[in-house]
Amino acid sequence: MQLLKDFKNGLWQENPIFRLVIGMCPTLAVTNTVVNGLAMGIATAFVLLASEIVISLIKKLIPNNVRIPSYILIIATFVTFVDYFLKAFFPAIAASLSLFVPLIVVNCLILGRQEAFASRNPVHRSIADALGMGIGFTWALVLLSTVRELLGMGSIFGWQILGSWYPPMIIMILPAGAFISLGILIGIMNYISRKGVR
Amino acid sequence: MKKLILTLTILGIVSALSLAFVFEWTTPIIEKHQEVARKEAIMAVLPNSDSYTEVVKDGTTFYEGNKDGEVAMLTSGGGFQGEIELMLGANPSQGKIFAIQVLNHQETPGLGAYITGEDYESNFIDKPFGDYKVVKRPVSNPMEVEAISGATISSTKVTNIIEEAINKMELAYGGGA
Repeated sequence: MQLLKDFKNGLWQENPIFRLVIGMCPTLAVTNTVVNGLAMGIATAFVLLASEIVISLIKKLIPNNVRIPSYILIIATFVTFVDYFLKAFFPAIAASLSLFVPLIVVNCLILGRQEAFASRNPVHRSIADALGMGIGFTWALVLLSTVRELLGMGSIFGWQILGSWYPPMIIMILPAGAFISLGILIGIMNYISRKGVR
Repeated sequence: MKKLILTLTILGIVSALSLAFVFEWTTPIIEKHQEVARKEAIMAVLPNSDSYTEVVKDGTTFYEGNKDGEVAMLTSGGGFQGEIELMLGANPSQGKIFAIQVLNHQETPGLGAYITGEDYESNFIDKPFGDYKVVKRPVSNPMEVEAISGATISSTKVTNIIEEAINKMELAYGGGA
């Protein structure tokens, strides 16, 4: 039961993007197309899962004073792995995400979960937390990028959905569109969850 | 104190070892992709040629197209943050650039990274050889290059790399405008 609760926590109640509002750099920067949003979500979820497992396993061996540099080192190792892996097997995605892949190192979602969860909980609960947070982050990115790609280019996953009658709103795929759509989505989420309480 | 140093050292070693392994595994595949990308870039910057041959002159590798004296070269130089690598297609005997294509760079996403965009690269389409001037407004003569807004340094660096490259090409081919 505890595991299920840890897992569901990241999906909605403490969703990294819509509730905790952390990890905003990739959220705002790469959600201009659904492919980018999905790839960034999966890459981040993988790094989160791998580093939460390692850190919760070796948490007792790391002295408190050097825990942050140790965490960053472990996270950076996995991020570099993802960077090479994408470049080798998904060169198109690697090219469109380019610099945002190495920037996963400083995504505060990942370091935040190590501090708040993996360094205090056993490994099976950390896995549940990482999966929940990772999937929560990914669905939020996919939703945000779907809205932006649809309104900004009239397509989803590169497939043209809206016909030529639709004039694309270029602003939606520019940074300003990210702020606007994220703000509106957070507003909708808050509305839904408040209604649920009543 | 000892324990702190020891922890970080061990972590560093383990991390470096595992990354070395991943690097060994992925590098050949990444290089193959880059090879394909380079071929595509050469064909993209040479408008009329449909094949090319590699020629080494003065220690620089040039890719000579099969038509109209077209020559491409891979060139690189420092950018705002890291190295910028680009393919330049030109006709050294007419002293004219056909087009450029930026292949690799580490410029700021959302600003300098636009050097790969069509808006910036189109600055160099059919440009005569010479010393260029980077301007922050639409160009008024062929020797000007329009900077990317918010990324004047990246724009200038790319322009410098191209100037250096055309100098090399002119020397190697003894031509000039």
